[in-house]
Amino acid sequence: MTKGIVHALATAALATVAMVALGNSAGFAQDKVTLTYLASQGWVYDAEQALGKKFEEKTGIAIDYQIVPADQYFNLLRTKLNSGEAPDIFGGQSGVTDLKLQYNVEKNAVDLSNEPWASKLDPLVAAQSTVNGKLYGMTYWDTVGNSWVVNYNKKIFAENGIAVPTDYAGLKSACVTLLAKGIQPMFEPIADGWHHVLWFAELGPRYEEATPGLAAQLNANKATFAGNPTMLAAVTQLKDLYDSGCWGKNALADTFADRTKVMASGQVAMVVAASGFGAELKNDYPQTNLDDYGVFLMPLADNQVLNLNPAGPTMFISSASPHIAEAKQYLEFLTQPDNMKYFVDNVPNATGLPFEGVAKKLPPAIQAFMANPKRGTVYQTAVNYVNPQWMDIGKDLTAMFTGAMTPEGVLTSIDKRRAELAKAAKDPAWQQ
Amino acid sequence: MYAKHYPFYFLVPVLVLYFVFFILPSLLGIGYSFTDWSTYSDQISYIGLDNFRRIFSPGENYLAYMGNTLIFTAVTIILKTVIGLALAILLSEGVKRFANFYRLAIYLPAVLPTLVVALIFRSILHPATGALNMFLRSIGLDVLALPWLIDARLALYSVIGVDTWKGVGYITVILLAGLQTIPRDYYEAAEIDGAGFWARLWHVTLPMLMPAIVVITVLNVLYGLRVFDIVYALTNGGPGYATEVIYTEIFKAFSMGQYGLGTALSTVMFVVLLVAGYFVIRLLERSSGQE
Repeated sequence: MTKGIVHALATAALATVAMVALGNSAGFAQDKVTLTYLASQGWVYDAEQALGKKFEEKTGIAIDYQIVPADQYFNLLRTKLNSGEAPDIFGGQSGVTDLKLQYNVEKNAVDLSNEPWASKLDPLVAAQSTVNGKLYGMTYWDTVGNSWVVNYNKKIFAENGIAVPTDYAGLKSACVTLLAKGIQPMFEPIADGWHHVLWFAELGPRYEEATPGLAAQLNANKATFAGNPTMLAAVTQLKDLYDSGCWGKNALADTFADRTKVMASGQVAMVVAASGFGAELKNDYPQTNLDDYGVFLMPLADNQVLNLNPAGPTMFISSASPHIAEAKQYLEFLTQPDNMKYFVDNVPNATGLPFEGVAKKLPPAIQAFMANPKRGTVYQTAVNYVNPQWMDIGKDLTAMFTGAMTPEGVLTSIDKRRAELAKAAKDPAWQQ
Repeated sequence: MYAKHYPFYFLVPVLVLYFVFFILPSLLGIGYSFTDWSTYSDQISYIGLDNFRRIFSPGENYLAYMGNTLIFTAVTIILKTVIGLALAILLSEGVKRFANFYRLAIYLPAVLPTLVVALIFRSILHPATGALNMFLRSIGLDVLALPWLIDARLALYSVIGVDTWKGVGYITVILLAGLQTIPRDYYEAAEIDGAGFWARLWHVTLPMLMPAIVVITVLNVLYGLRVFDIVYALTNGGPGYATEVIYTEIFKAFSMGQYGLGTALSTVMFVVLLVAGYFVIRLLERSSGQE
């Protein structure tokens, strides 16, 4: 009896193996291709997924979007790249040092210089995805038209007699006034690990204004973050904002996904978000009156210079992918004029896309704000070896909030990691 | 009828496989921990003890992460064993109705994937909207509604709590099986001699259960020292670096492409596990010697 069962089981197992083998070799050979696309949370909008569906209907090639929580994304991606298990398409932040160090694109990604859309990509944006003259990534993201700024609720400000802050004292005083009235001044989602770093790195133009030529000196290893008074002031003020309760009691548990919910509730006055945030709020909560919301620059270290960043979430095709042609086809599909228009129309906070011929949409008030003649490039793009350690800076800042690190310690730690990354990249400026 | 001893060459294939797939990678790993092997360079150079110097230098936080790993291991062993034993005794003696249902309910968390458990608990332990704090506030215990995962002093213990909740069912099952092997006569004899519950527990249950307790201790030591997934998914080492353990650092080193440093950290853990294993096996031998 037992022998009979064993025999039957063995036969069934053999049959299964044989079927799978057959399927692999011939049976399922005509099956449709599914491209895997790995991205961090918040990088793939619903509009892009809808375009993915359209692409599937048209070509029969499906896209499997694998979205990973932001605080785990880069570790996971690098592990996959380093172990040779990369997906067909992977998302990454553009920026030349990131491309070399984080993703090693010359080895891990496909050269896209000759793709039909490459010549239409904004040259400033394309430069951030170019290594040794070859374009490796496609930035399908509203980079140049959108900046990270403080979005505020005008009604709350007016009701409490608060003027729009133009320096740190103004912001602190707004916080104190609102806290006294029992209103949470600001929503700061620290749990994601990346958002609170914006307060520091996006202030690059201010650091540059205070110390002209600083970015060039940092890149030549002739200056450090530690000891820079403007940076120290910014980090110390950041700690002051946390300690004074300006971000509420649960900032360490708050996530960026809740930004519109929190702001629409009318119980929080400010949030750092894209300059197109108002449209996003209106999309999620249609009763929102856009005139009730305004923007101002992050005023740490008394900053009044507009922060611009030509780098942003970018798509790369893995060189190990068995479906490179299909992946290229997908990127080309996304850049067709109709599809780009669909994307801009349906991504609430997008003001455009960095491609030739794409119309911009931005309310006149924000457009006037973005026309600020005092402007500069953010430090994660202007200074080498900052963006690759973005999440580490986030951890350092969180450790500073909880009292485990000092503001000086945060800056020293950034220098230390820059030196490690530069040494690993065999940067001549760090060879002496 | 059959020869008692097989010739040695019967063992050779297994030994070769074991050597190639277990011993060799471990030795290679130890070897690489003395190099600067990284993803940034094709050359691998011997750098002596540099990686180890870095791990044990006061400028780095690795010693604190080792401390977290040891606290996690020690506290989870105590909690899982004590709670597991209490539940096992309750299930084998206390509960008469629906005993099988309770056994299933207690074992269930062990079956759930760690990632799922962590995501659920991230939501339950949210300081403002989490179910735990909302429940505590609703019954007037606002004082106990703490920022479980975001307070640097509390976060490690919250992780330990969640891990205990998940792992205690597994320990209970092993102890339950152990309890059922203890003959009833011993308890009856002890009762006749006037032994109460605690005396029976101390003089009959615990000595008879020692082999099972040693087994779960070995399992818990190995699990605790190598903990990774629950920490990674629940806090990712945060807030700041408050719940960072050695294996989250090893993962970080590998994901950064610093293979030399990663293997050095693994080597340190290998030595710690070897020492811990040695003492636990000594304990095991002592306890089986007593029988």
